[in-house]
Amino acid sequence: MKVANKKIGYFCSMVPVEIIMAAGFKPVRVRGRAEMTASADAHLYPNLCPYIKSVFTDALEGGDTACDGLVFARSCDGMRRLYDAWKAYIPATFSYMLEAPKNVDKLAVTYFASQLRDFAAQLGKVSGTEVTGPALKKAIGAANKTRSKMRDLYSLQKASLLPVKGSELFSVGLQVMYGEDSDTAAGISSVNKKAVASSKPGKEKKKIRIMICGNVMDRPDIFHIIEDAGAEVPIADLCTASRYFERSVDERGGDLFLALAEAYLGEPRCSRTAAPPEIYARISDNVKRYAIDGVLLTSLKFCDQQLYDIPYLLKKLNGDDTPVLFVENDYVFADRDRVRTRVEAFLETLES
Amino acid sequence: MLKKYYSEMKSGLETAYQQKPRAWIKMNIHLASMMTEAFRNDAKVIWTSYYSFPMELLAAFDVAPFDFEIAANLLPMFDADGAVEVMNRAEEAGYSTDVCSFHRLAAGCCSLGYMPEADLLLSSSYFCDGKAKVNRSLADYYGKESISLDVPNKISKESVDYVAGQLRRIAGKLEEVTGQKFDIERLRECIRVSNRARRAYAQLAELQKLSPYPYIGIPVVNMSIFSNMLAGREIQEQIYLEMVEESRRKTMEGSLVRERYRVLWLAWFPPQPTNINQIFRKNGVTVVMGELARNYCGDMDESLPFESLALWSLKNPYVGSIEQRLKGINEMIEGYNVDGVIHFSTDACRHSCAAQKLIGDAIQKRGIPYLVLDGDMSDKRKYSPDRTQLLLENFIEVMAGRK
Repeated sequence: MKVANKKIGYFCSMVPVEIIMAAGFKPVRVRGRAEMTASADAHLYPNLCPYIKSVFTDALEGGDTACDGLVFARSCDGMRRLYDAWKAYIPATFSYMLEAPKNVDKLAVTYFASQLRDFAAQLGKVSGTEVTGPALKKAIGAANKTRSKMRDLYSLQKASLLPVKGSELFSVGLQVMYGEDSDTAAGISSVNKKAVASSKPGKEKKKIRIMICGNVMDRPDIFHIIEDAGAEVPIADLCTASRYFERSVDERGGDLFLALAEAYLGEPRCSRTAAPPEIYARISDNVKRYAIDGVLLTSLKFCDQQLYDIPYLLKKLNGDDTPVLFVENDYVFADRDRVRTRVEAFLETLES
Repeated sequence: MLKKYYSEMKSGLETAYQQKPRAWIKMNIHLASMMTEAFRNDAKVIWTSYYSFPMELLAAFDVAPFDFEIAANLLPMFDADGAVEVMNRAEEAGYSTDVCSFHRLAAGCCSLGYMPEADLLLSSSYFCDGKAKVNRSLADYYGKESISLDVPNKISKESVDYVAGQLRRIAGKLEEVTGQKFDIERLRECIRVSNRARRAYAQLAELQKLSPYPYIGIPVVNMSIFSNMLAGREIQEQIYLEMVEESRRKTMEGSLVRERYRVLWLAWFPPQPTNINQIFRKNGVTVVMGELARNYCGDMDESLPFESLALWSLKNPYVGSIEQRLKGINEMIEGYNVDGVIHFSTDACRHSCAAQKLIGDAIQKRGIPYLVLDGDMSDKRKYSPDRTQLLLENFIEVMAGRK
């Protein structure tokens, strides 16, 4: 099978893109385009993650989820059921459920490494190209480099005058994940230029700085709402933003699968594996490092992984006088006006 | 509050048992005793999941296992409005009404000081995301450690080793928390006892295939949720054998009520007061079996205790791909000669409800009517008796049309 330009879609940040690259495929994070999810509601369950329902609606309705294969991960109950439904209702050339552990100790790392070897072997069978050590090393190097560039850009956002809009940086990050290579290179370069230009003494008045924390987000609506109201977003701790790029895989080790397992189970972790105190500690740390004035916690509706952490995070952030707002979202922001009202009210309280 | 409930429940059941010695009452006395035990000052309290954690490991220690979900959900059984007030406490603290009412109740109970303090919190990664998450949050609340038994989807040598390794670690943690030395021979004995109980239960499950069915179906469904609390303890086998004896006696006496429609129940049965039983009685509907009451694991190998317990976890119908769950459902449809299948769909139960269509398609392929009965386990605000009546009566008509 000739695999050049063939795409393997993945849904969760726990899937190592390096293995997909080493097998000769292009990794593409699957985004949902469908805003109305009646088809998925009929096949899954209405009270289920809106991201899952959006991508499944795309697939059921023949939309542009088209990949040459899909990798699911044991991320959550919803994702397990998506895998079952996908296998049953949508013929796919290749689909694979990656066993991503929910614990993060040595046992889990060893087990995860064994599953990554299996994943590589299965992908190799599909591509006809065995995932070799040198290919994997090269892929790890390439992915590390891209993540490092993105980390550098986020690091520039610590400046008191924000070099680039948070929404712009968010879009560049998404391009990386969607595998839009030319856009990614142009995006990184453009953001870099703006950052250099803005390093001259500031002319603008300092704006209110908001950190967004949550799970999967593929649309910039909430960034735009904040920016339109005159505030800015230096950092977004999301599955699809800064958190994704924090990871770095050790290329020097002998067992690269073990190195991948350690990195992907390592920090920063999402609500799936991190206990609430760990998430709170990261938020607090970022509040200081990025001189944040307020935290906007957000979660996809029906996301049990995230929703159960909210009471703890609210209590802790309120306890240390960090202004915080929690807003659920439906992934497509069909209710953006409601979100806008709440965010603007929150910003007003910060201004006052 | 819960302590008081359980003490009253225990003494009430003991009185009832004296008047009418039935195995089901005895099972409930043991449930109440186990809960009451957790409130004893000198008890080593281990929070856990009765229905998903391999309880044989806890039976190998002198501890008081406590399941916060089952404990808190006694409240709506006796006081549905009071339960709503408790849930309100959790919602005010930030728990979304989109998360399971079981967990909102438990979180509310904790904040009101109704729960016994945990010494260690154990949960499992299956059954469900929510429970493991609550366990973790409450561990922080009590300043104690929480460990989740992570059970993968696939059964393989690697996954058995992974789960067995975690169980060994948990045994070590239990040693540390209780100050008791772990005795592998005691664990082996617990597994032997558990095997005997499973064989006794298999007899009961077999008797349920008779028509009219001899035991009480809904308690069998409920038992599948909490009877595993006794796994590894002698009393479990005794109770099952008594149930078998009662069933045989009833069959021989010919005192069983004639049944018109035999139903297989999927997922859980709501503990809050509902009109479901009343509708069933009126229409001659009997729940002959529950999905989770299937005996899905044969004898465990006592020579490899940790690996056996790991395999027990991995074989659970709620672990793995949907095929594992469907295999069990299909076996039960065939074995119990059912007229219909009812899937109770509690609002926030993603791991059960998200497979409804897949399950429905598989069942309807066999020509068996399938009903998704939506409601809520414990939150009366999300349960409609009128809607339940409408759905059930329509379903009964469908079953009647096939007779």
